[in-house]
Amino acid sequence: MNKTMLGVIDATKYIDALEPLTINRCIAAIPFAGRYRLIDFVLSNMVNSGIESVAIFPKYQYRSLMDHLGSGKNWDLNRKRDGLFFFPSPDLNMPYDHIGAFEHFEQHVDYFLRSKQKYALICNSYTVCNIDYQMVLKRHIENECDITEIRHQGKSLEMFILETSLLLDLIINRNETRYMSIVDVVRDHRHQLKICDYEYCGYVAVIDSIDNYFAHSMELLHPMIWKQLFDKLRPIYTKVKDEPPTKYTGEAVVKNSMIANGCMIEGHVENSIIFRAVKVGKGTVIKNSIIMQKSQIGENCELDCVIIDKDVKVENGVTLRGTARQPFVIRKGTVQGALMNL
Amino acid sequence: MLKKKCVAMLLAGGKGSRLSSLTKNLAKPAVPFGGKYRIIDFTLSNCTNSGIDTVGVLTQYQPLVLNSYIGIGSAWDLDRRNGGVTVLPPYAESSEVKWYTGTASAIYQNLNYIEQYAPEYVLILSGDHIYKMNYSKMLDYHIEKNADVTISVIEVPWSEASRFGIMNTNENMEILQFEEKPANPKNNLASMGIYIFNWSILKEYLEMDSRNPESSHDFGKDVIPLLLEEKKRLVAYPFRGYWKDVGTVKSLWEANMDLLKEDCELNLFDHSWRIYSVNPNQPPQYIAHDAIVTESLINEGCVIEGTVEHSVLFQGVHIGKGSIVKDSVVMPDAVVGENVYIEKAIVPSNIEIPNGTIIRPEQSFDEIILVTKELLEKQEPERMSSGE
Repeated sequence: MNKTMLGVIDATKYIDALEPLTINRCIAAIPFAGRYRLIDFVLSNMVNSGIESVAIFPKYQYRSLMDHLGSGKNWDLNRKRDGLFFFPSPDLNMPYDHIGAFEHFEQHVDYFLRSKQKYALICNSYTVCNIDYQMVLKRHIENECDITEIRHQGKSLEMFILETSLLLDLIINRNETRYMSIVDVVRDHRHQLKICDYEYCGYVAVIDSIDNYFAHSMELLHPMIWKQLFDKLRPIYTKVKDEPPTKYTGEAVVKNSMIANGCMIEGHVENSIIFRAVKVGKGTVIKNSIIMQKSQIGENCELDCVIIDKDVKVENGVTLRGTARQPFVIRKGTVQGALMNL
Repeated sequence: MLKKKCVAMLLAGGKGSRLSSLTKNLAKPAVPFGGKYRIIDFTLSNCTNSGIDTVGVLTQYQPLVLNSYIGIGSAWDLDRRNGGVTVLPPYAESSEVKWYTGTASAIYQNLNYIEQYAPEYVLILSGDHIYKMNYSKMLDYHIEKNADVTISVIEVPWSEASRFGIMNTNENMEILQFEEKPANPKNNLASMGIYIFNWSILKEYLEMDSRNPESSHDFGKDVIPLLLEEKKRLVAYPFRGYWKDVGTVKSLWEANMDLLKEDCELNLFDHSWRIYSVNPNQPPQYIAHDAIVTESLINEGCVIEGTVEHSVLFQGVHIGKGSIVKDSVVMPDAVVGENVYIEKAIVPSNIEIPNGTIIRPEQSFDEIILVTKELLEKQEPERMSSGE
């Protein structure tokens, strides 16, 4: 039995509710969990499930995504045979924003025509979990399904398995069938296709608004949850940075926090997620916050319920506060002075 | 092969027997250091940062981990189409197997590796030291001084000079005499085991040395004295900065502790001189609610539930609840159970320390404890009697 799969990551979607994190980047490239980008989870799951050919369909602001993925080496996808493919949408005005829009796939239909893999797995880029797609495929084959949709507590995770030949049929005949995306097919009942559900029971975080970005980030501080997401046998890969280990000085106080490499911690950090190469100055207290890569927090600052994007400089003595329901988001690359938010 | 100006030869075959059980299954250059690195990362990163892209790594003793760690050199950007890193183990010739009997013989056996790049200069390095150095500056100095051989030296305290190979120089830094561990040192400039040779001189003298049955085929003992005898132009290159031979358990521990100083001379956070290594790709470290972490260097994948004070923790280390780790080095994936007390120790990779274990130096000794399975077994009765 041929169990090979193509991995297709649809990264075309734009979600307004994720602004301002998406001002300079697509959703797939949003930093998450201290050192990753959202796409790392789906991509690592694919690789850990034995998928050797992955096609990424981006649309908006994909510079940071391309920079992150490079040749695919960090995911072991820099292959002579198969590997990582990048298929940007040539037309920004296509109105289809359902995941798995056939119009996007049609632009690069050669990829599907040339691939020998019998099955295709289509996923969005912003569902965070640690799932074995081989288990899903096994069920798909056993139950003789035409399309399997992966769900979690009844909610669609926008992950679908189908035969590559069926996908090609749907792409080519979209104007006759009027099914414009895989979602259209799954939601409609007027066809003869057998649609199956696969319930995934592990931890899932779907990141589609700032509020749930913040809430799901905070969930990672529960050992029961990060242990599920960071399974040692099924690692999540990301672009490596050669940062040194994190240094804590004599004044550092750190509680219930996730801290990436290359940081210099001189202050107080509690219930927070600190990305790579962040500096936390003396006398500063950070609580319930997310500080992204290379941001520098000065001395004697007070931060509570804030999300600080990359490369932000917070000057000495600044106080920034949000609430758990409405975290205060600081945009990438900005400087926060002491008198700015009075 | 395209011609290269300078080829580096990195001697990495050392056994490091004074590192005791740490080098039982591991060549010394592969010993973990600084929370994330292996000793050899410093020399390989220096090469890359100095613009040297052709490095032969000579391995012999316990090479498995070292070889797989170096791989094709991509971690140091040394996976090159022309040049790059090449691991050079000893090999058999039609008549006999030629082990590397000394540092000079190791290079001699690989003259044909160097030959194919037809370099002007050969940089000889040792994979045993922790330091950051720009070799291209040393090469400029070598050319400027019109030297046949340049030897990098560092000033050591006079009181310790008798532990090193000492270069006696004139005011122009020309080397007049080399003394290995002199009882009454005349100078305090110690050789760092870093040499730049003009390729023609190196080739000539290594061939000469190989024909000498009396020679121990060592650069310091045989080749350098021979060059001095023949009045070749040997020049000392003074290096200032952090340099440490981590040849003993104590010096390995000390060098790790040096990294915890506020004004550490060896800055790992310097972006302009990155120390590269094979990244373990583990999730960020998790510091639990009741943990206390101060004055420490902690790598990714660690889970800290106890107290870590003035220590260096490598990737994937777990410190259990109620445990205290103080002034110690904990190597990758070691698991420290609950209510453990560790002070002034090196905990090797993958070891599991049972709940309630107490490891601390006896007051009368200034010794660093290297934790071993045997040591933990001896601890067993003590743990039982403490009423755990």
